[in-house]
Amino acid sequence: MAKVYQDLRSFLSTLEENGQLVRIKEEVNPEPDIAAAGRAAANIENGPAVLFEKVKGYPYSVVTNVHGSWANHALMLGMDKTATTKEQFHEINRRWERFPVKPEILKREEAPCKENTIDKAEDINLFEILPLYRINDQDGGFFLSKASIITADPNEPDNFDKLNVGTYRIQVKGKNRVGIQALAFHDIAIQLEAAERKNEKVPICITVGNSPLVTYMASTPVMYTQNEYEFVGALQDGVPAQIVKSDLYENLYVPAGSEVVLEGYIEPRVREVEGPFGEFPGSYSGARRQCVITITHVTHRTNPIFENLYLGIPWTEIDYLMALNTSVPLYQQIKRDFPEVQAVNAMYTHGMGCIISTKVRFGGFGKEVAFRLLSTPHGGSYSKIIIIVDEFVDPFNLPQVMWALTTRVRPDKDVVVIPNCPGMPLDPSSYPAGMHSKLIIDATTPKDPEPNPREVELLEPPVGYEKYEALIRKLMSEM
Amino acid sequence: MKCPRCDGNKIEVIATSPVGNVWEVYECMDCFYSWRSTETPHIHDKFKLKKEQIDNLQVIPPIPPLDK
Ligand SMILES: Cc1cc2nc3c(=O)[nH]c(=O)nc-3n(C[C@H](O)[C@H](O)[C@H](O)COP(=O)(O)O)c2cc1C
Ligand SMILES: [Zn+2]
Repeated sequence: MAKVYQDLRSFLSTLEENGQLVRIKEEVNPEPDIAAAGRAAANIENGPAVLFEKVKGYPYSVVTNVHGSWANHALMLGMDKTATTKEQFHEINRRWERFPVKPEILKREEAPCKENTIDKAEDINLFEILPLYRINDQDGGFFLSKASIITADPNEPDNFDKLNVGTYRIQVKGKNRVGIQALAFHDIAIQLEAAERKNEKVPICITVGNSPLVTYMASTPVMYTQNEYEFVGALQDGVPAQIVKSDLYENLYVPAGSEVVLEGYIEPRVREVEGPFGEFPGSYSGARRQCVITITHVTHRTNPIFENLYLGIPWTEIDYLMALNTSVPLYQQIKRDFPEVQAVNAMYTHGMGCIISTKVRFGGFGKEVAFRLLSTPHGGSYSKIIIIVDEFVDPFNLPQVMWALTTRVRPDKDVVVIPNCPGMPLDPSSYPAGMHSKLIIDATTPKDPEPNPREVELLEPPVGYEKYEALIRKLMSEM
Repeated sequence: MKCPRCDGNKIEVIATSPVGNVWEVYECMDCFYSWRSTETPHIHDKFKLKKEQIDNLQVIPPIPPLDK
């Protein structure tokens, strides 16, 4: 049974035991030290999480880069820290099949996130609970970049399948006021629209500092009717996620082990300046008018730990967080209709770049698979550079993908551009923001009825190479 | 005090450091830019905002019509 974490703290202990967490004990300045360490950790191969014990002017600690390396990612799954990306991809897919795993609902007194309560809005001061800081120099303020946010469908408030747990950036705008970026194609926007049509507030819980798989599932593009907590249980290999009822709302549930839970509501039909914020494409998204949340109730653990994430020019922590959690659901959704598909690598900028390997059933099949990606809810707007390779090409091995491109592609027939499609508005090359063209490169071998006049035979490795591989490794390790 | 981004003068202190008296955080009530007293904000020209710009920024997500 894989190791399972019900809170951030137990995961931090495992990271530390495995040499994947470092502590900075000296006092640091909020700016620019915390963000600088996030960048630094990303620059280091298999970079660790970085825990700042003392931040000037604040009582509590901050941790960053918790998901920021393949070693940390493997430990999150309870795997050996040397597990390869591809091994982790296949392991997540295996566990995915366990969905749905009903969460375990704890009593209030059993839930660590309820250790301390602030129940008067006028007593709430986010700066006393969270060591807030600026992430990138031109950000418009201090942001929570990694919170998991819980909302329900206003038309079916008790439908647990439609309870949404998502990651949306939060800008702190006052002691108990924050802004949120709810992009139109994400689940929270469906709920917001339903409430705003009736001019109703949207009940919301913002949870900070969660078990690593809660954060992971919050930023995974699953279907609207799929509950993220039931996926956390699946990815915990069948061990249910522990959750607890929110204090304000009967139908909202928060992770029982959260460090901090902020409860309140989105003000309907209100938009205020939010941003800029350094975003995942490695550039700033400018100021826009976005939604505002009033926080009226807070619970937190004693000595809460503020978990936050740095974003810079890829790769940084966010790229590890949304690498396989974008690849796996896209693979699962495409495979349902096309069992020929072997693997999906959607690790580039949240799936804007995507490589799919597939068996080819008939001529043109590669393009058909690409169209299927472009008709998934996530791929439809995000994916724009799509490469289809044969089943014998490993999409996680980029040199091999380049081999397929250089030897399989005839640009005049295998490269197509489809104009005027949905696009990812934060992609700076999307214009108008939200529109884009799609590039499909079909690098698969032609199959009947498409002619293949120069059919080739692939090179096979010489007999006995595995034996030599083992021997050479052994000799090298003895050198 | 003036807002470093929009030149507005409605600046509020939204926080003082919970430990010691080592910083304050200010916020502009026109454009919601916020900064700490220990920072020296230098807003790039492309991120400066004028009153007309604030009113015309893109709205995300759009506000739907009210149900009848
Ligand atoms: C660190 C991080 C920050 C994100 N910030 C936002 C955001 O501000 N707004 C947004 O709409 N999506 C954001 N996303 C993307 C969504 O969380 C992600 O696409 C998720 O699958 C959305 O799920 P949903 O469609 O269930 O809402 C972020 C993702 C990550 C990993
Ligand atoms: Zn201003």
